[in-house]
Amino acid sequence: MVQSAANEAELLTFDSVTKRFGGVTALDSVNFGLRQGEIHALVGENGAGKSTLIKVLGGIHLPDSGTIRIFGQPANIRSVADANRYGIRIIHQELSLVPHLSIAENIYLGREPQGLAGLCRRKMTADAETLITDLGLHEIRSVGTAVSQLSIAHQQLVEIARALSCQARILVLDEPTSSLSEAETEALFVTLRRLRSQGAGIIYISHRLEEVMRLADRITVLRDGRSMGTQFTQQLNQRELIRWMVGRDIKDHFHRPAFKTGKPALTVDNLSSPTIHNVSFELHYGEVLGLAGLVGSGRTELARALFGIDPVHKGEIRIDGQTVSINSPGDALDKGIVLVPEDRKQEGLVMFQSVGFNLALPWVNEWISGWFPSRRKRREIIDRAINGFSIKVAHPEQSIDTLSGGNQQKALVGRWMERRPKILILDEPTRGVDVGAREELFAIIGSLVESGMAVLLISSDLSEVLHTSHRIALYRDGRILDTVNAADITEEQIMEQLVGAKVSEKG
Amino acid sequence: MRKVKQILPLALAMVVLLLLFNLWVPDFLKPENMLDLVQQISVNAILAFGMTLVILIGGIDLSVGALLALVGTTTVYILAKGQSDGQSLRWLMIAVLAGLGVAAGFGAFNGLCASKTKMPPFIITLAMMLVARGAALRFNEGRPMRIPDHETILLALGNGRLFGMVPIPVIVMLTLFALVAIVLHRTRFGQHLYAIGGNREAARFTGIPLVRNEILVYMACSVLTGMAGLIHTSQLYSAEPASGVMFELNAIAAAVVGGTSFTGGRGTIYGTLIGAIIIGILDKGLNQAGVHFSLQYIVKGLVILIAVYMDVRRR
Repeated sequence: MVQSAANEAELLTFDSVTKRFGGVTALDSVNFGLRQGEIHALVGENGAGKSTLIKVLGGIHLPDSGTIRIFGQPANIRSVADANRYGIRIIHQELSLVPHLSIAENIYLGREPQGLAGLCRRKMTADAETLITDLGLHEIRSVGTAVSQLSIAHQQLVEIARALSCQARILVLDEPTSSLSEAETEALFVTLRRLRSQGAGIIYISHRLEEVMRLADRITVLRDGRSMGTQFTQQLNQRELIRWMVGRDIKDHFHRPAFKTGKPALTVDNLSSPTIHNVSFELHYGEVLGLAGLVGSGRTELARALFGIDPVHKGEIRIDGQTVSINSPGDALDKGIVLVPEDRKQEGLVMFQSVGFNLALPWVNEWISGWFPSRRKRREIIDRAINGFSIKVAHPEQSIDTLSGGNQQKALVGRWMERRPKILILDEPTRGVDVGAREELFAIIGSLVESGMAVLLISSDLSEVLHTSHRIALYRDGRILDTVNAADITEEQIMEQLVGAKVSEKG
Repeated sequence: MRKVKQILPLALAMVVLLLLFNLWVPDFLKPENMLDLVQQISVNAILAFGMTLVILIGGIDLSVGALLALVGTTTVYILAKGQSDGQSLRWLMIAVLAGLGVAAGFGAFNGLCASKTKMPPFIITLAMMLVARGAALRFNEGRPMRIPDHETILLALGNGRLFGMVPIPVIVMLTLFALVAIVLHRTRFGQHLYAIGGNREAARFTGIPLVRNEILVYMACSVLTGMAGLIHTSQLYSAEPASGVMFELNAIAAAVVGGTSFTGGRGTIYGTLIGAIIIGILDKGLNQAGVHFSLQYIVKGLVILIAVYMDVRRR
């Protein structure tokens, strides 16, 4: 199954490239080849070495041994500028645009065309317009628009436009669809396929295997810093790919906790704010209610309103049948609601602090009472979270940014279990979390639900919502369209509802 | 004991500096000279404690220097109003509380603006610096106001010595140090400050009340400034409306030399104390070595730069 015959048409070749960090071998004699006019997916669990490979290619890390070839010639990539000179452009998950500058200014950032009379704005505008039109961005009216006013999807296309304007031959996309809606993802794929037909070599990194299967021509799997080989996508199915990636058989991504009908935990009645409109639903103890909606449908806003971050104008929230008023996260926590936010790094964790600091933070009142903090109590709280959620740490006081995405997410959820909330709201809990950790996370959440917790699950991953929820609320433009039993609907039907409605609104 | 490890290099730098100056300046390390040194740094150290709290939550307070002058003028003005001859404990209390009250008011306002509006703390406190300076200059047409000789308690605050040896400002400074150390490193409030400075959104999601904490921090900084103002006034034997210029910058320097991260979330009060001492050693040492004052500025600037560079590199 390993196909490694050297191809003379290869645009980029990694020839047993090794990279070590201290005692850890991040890349172990990795071989990898990218052809012209190919979309080549790079998959592997977190920590498999994908990002190291990309950083070596992009000139951020220097390899310890091995050769990188471009068109068969050894390339000496020692800096980001070198990589750019070889036509390598990397589009990172976190976009690197200047929000207040216009589309055209961003595309030409750092290489603005300049004449005797200063910036040639006219040339910049004209060239940017051509690029944007070529990428099929017809919806953008003017390249003078500030980038901050664009959707994430459009911002990404601006990054791609920038890469193309630099004559990029090798385009690397790192998790490009993590914040895109399905429709935007489709649009991106169309663009990538066109670039492929124009001869570009595209390296595509994603956790979303369905996408990889659909888009990529070939797939290379990395595991523990080693390349496990390259295969044509047609020769694989998703189950085989997962087994290949993790090196074992994962029975299914998800498992739905057994459902015992409980009393209503949370009742929301006609809740309204500027972004949500007359939302009503009921969430029971022991139930997972999935909130399926496209990105930008206002799902996060609903979560924030329930948690007391954004103000509510109208409507009623009842917990255990009692009307409550929630004006701050403190109120929500008092009432037994916990929100695990969408963005781990921006909203969830204090990244440069220790695992222990982050785990013990919500419980400061428990371990500091009176003047003197109790190290013992603090340690007990931390240990319970680490053990209860099998968070993999060498030491509780190690910095939390050394943990993998999956373990960070486990910490973020696990720290609330010291005193179990009644209602747990999870906003995109598996973004950037690899298959193995995702399975673990859902197993734990499943057992919490089975012990009676009520969970509101927000996710862009429809198969995740479908397979872990008992009921699904279809959510669009700040409204609940319908609530259905998960057993009675398919992924395609959900999509139809969410997208179909959108199309009809436009017409 | 991670905190101890963090400030170990800094403490080492302080000792090296002391030894170097001892080679250069005869009798530099003599107890009398050292007591003098700690007395001279008391005001800046107290300001730096407050500044550390503010920087820790990602803020900044530029108004402390001007506020220090305003506290002095307010206190001495009221003191002069209240009595004719002889010291009255009651009027002293009223005057001091008025001074500290004005400080607390400024702090509350700074904190309110910083937490409730989107104005950057740099601008808010820059504006309040001008307001406080102007207010201080309203008194006595901007001329210094002498503290009457019979106000022995107030005069002792800056100039007295306990058992004829330990300067009282040093005792005040160390008491405030202990207080801030306990609040910062041993209370939930302190823990919350690290969380707010480390990641504001994350703090919000764990239910930490941001507005209340932020107001309290700015108030703490201002009240500490008030204490420093009383000491400073006492040391000058008069309230000088134009005093305290650039004091905020010295306080910021002490905090950052002490390892407080300018982006918030990192730093200790122990580090700040050592930072204030290092700056004090430079001031005093260079002075006693007879270095021209113009060169003193240059050396101090470069030392701050090096200290912060080392600190940033260590992370």
